[in-house]
Amino acid sequence: MNKYMKGMVAAGAFALSQGAVAGCGEITMAEMNWASAELMANVDKIILEEGYGCEVELVPGATMTTFASMNEKGQPDVAGELWTNAVAEPLGVALGEGRLAISNDGPITQLGEGWFVPGYVQENHPELKTAMDILEHPELFPHPEDSSKGAFYGCPAGWGCQLANANLFRAFDMEAKGWLLVDPGSAAGLDGSIAKAVERGENWFGYYWSPTSMVGKYNLQLLDFGVPWGGSANWDGCIVKAEQDCADPQPSSWTESVVNTVVTSDFTANTDAMGYLSARVFPGPVMNGMLVYMADNQAGGEDAAIEFLLQHEDVWSAWVSADAAAKIKQSL
Amino acid sequence: MDFFGDFPEMGRQDLRELKKGIDLAFREFSRANGDSIEAFFEPLMFFMVGLEKLLIATPWPVMIMIFAALAWLGARSIWVVLGTVVSFLLIGWLGMWEDTMATVAIISVATIVCIGVGIPLGIFMSRSDRLQTAITPILDIMQTIPSFVYLIPIIMLLGIGKVPGLLAVCIYALPPIVRLTNLGIRLVDKEVLEAADAFGASARQKLFDVQIPLALPNIFAGVNQTIMMALAMVVIASMIGVKGLGVPVLRAISNQYLALGLMNGLAIVALAIIFDRVSQAYGQRLQKHRQGGHGV
Repeated sequence: MNKYMKGMVAAGAFALSQGAVAGCGEITMAEMNWASAELMANVDKIILEEGYGCEVELVPGATMTTFASMNEKGQPDVAGELWTNAVAEPLGVALGEGRLAISNDGPITQLGEGWFVPGYVQENHPELKTAMDILEHPELFPHPEDSSKGAFYGCPAGWGCQLANANLFRAFDMEAKGWLLVDPGSAAGLDGSIAKAVERGENWFGYYWSPTSMVGKYNLQLLDFGVPWGGSANWDGCIVKAEQDCADPQPSSWTESVVNTVVTSDFTANTDAMGYLSARVFPGPVMNGMLVYMADNQAGGEDAAIEFLLQHEDVWSAWVSADAAAKIKQSL
Repeated sequence: MDFFGDFPEMGRQDLRELKKGIDLAFREFSRANGDSIEAFFEPLMFFMVGLEKLLIATPWPVMIMIFAALAWLGARSIWVVLGTVVSFLLIGWLGMWEDTMATVAIISVATIVCIGVGIPLGIFMSRSDRLQTAITPILDIMQTIPSFVYLIPIIMLLGIGKVPGLLAVCIYALPPIVRLTNLGIRLVDKEVLEAADAFGASARQKLFDVQIPLALPNIFAGVNQTIMMALAMVVIASMIGVKGLGVPVLRAISNQYLALGLMNGLAIVALAIIFDRVSQAYGQRLQKHRQGGHGV
């Protein structure tokens, strides 16, 4: 009997380990087109490939396109750093219907989006404590093409936050206060406008988010909005929607940012990878440090991932089994 | 053996230092000269802002009549005029009027700038083989280098907006007019030039009264190509904050708004076809006197 049981257990364990290898197999992961997500995707790739024997293919994409593809087509399997505010409602539906699942509800700590100014703006103008104070002074932030107006740099066309910024622009009645909403057109445009302004010591006011190298490098300060949170009915039901679906936006602070690692439901069967993904949490300061490293050295996601694995073993070794950690360490 | 197996590449550290050095040098340059370069382009910016405001502020029936009149002057074809009017009515009806006017404004200014720079450059090129050898590879670079590569330095120097957008458009749209001006002048028959010499024409008279008039059809093909390529850059220009039809296209790309992308894309196509037919017909009419034979 005992012997029989042992045999069963051994066979079972063999089948399980076989199953795990076969189950891991090929994974497609979204590599979102911003630095922290590139780093995260490449760290995931190295750890899953070296530590767990998976085959990982990275798929470039943006928030909206990746989410739509995962929701409709079930590909890619994993979105490592999905800023879910932009897709709150369809994500809720997809979670409810079991098409998608959340494997990690906070892959990076201390993050957030909102309205920023470079640090020296508040040093030179201490009276500008909140975003509301700044809205009264468009003359300090002249628009390059019409200096009688203030320039507020919103989100590039097509980003989820573009709608929220446009609706808040209306909610705060910024047009009447003398502001123009600038569409920077692309990530390069938004970053370039900040870099150019800070290099020349000019004032800049607009939307950005943390963790990013831009925030660290140019000492951007997240502004307190100066108005309370306007309730989720206002935010989810109006502010994040297209202008025609949001007739009467109300003033509000920016919503608390939620970043998730989202996976497709088929993928949840992949226990090894799921276990790793749920344990993988980057501390905010470490992530910021890596992002500045990437910017300073013009490192791509892959280079930065290797650098991260070399420099921060204490961080990542807690995410994986000792066995996997040894394999990963050996591969570096 | 190692030497043949691995490419003897520059050390990682050195390469990084090189890249950083180039970046730093450019940053210093833009810090030192950015303001004055911006000031240099300021008149151009006022012109563009003014033109865009004028086009948007002008009542739409007036604008359509102006476009129709221009189409008639260029093409002398009732079909082209009709097509122009219908296209613009459709564009307005589908809610793309302001974006279209913004696009027309930047395309017009870009074309004027390209003609102003390109034709003289082409003329100089046609007069000196050495200059032609020097400029041709530069034109090749301008046409093939991925636009995002030069967008980065342009943004660092000039920020985002109309002027950097115009520069990006012109870098791509300038080469055809330079090439075709050069080619047109070089293709003028030797015999004609000999005849001009025989009549004792000065170099200046030869250029302005013989070579350029005979090269006009080619030059016009260049103008036509420049306009087409400028329109092709509308979406790229929108990525650095230029208003116009490119913005909704970008929004459509990121959000899979099929209809929005299609409508705005087709509006760009409509503009392109109108500009193309009108400028081509104009170029062909310029050529007519040459083919006429009897009268001339």
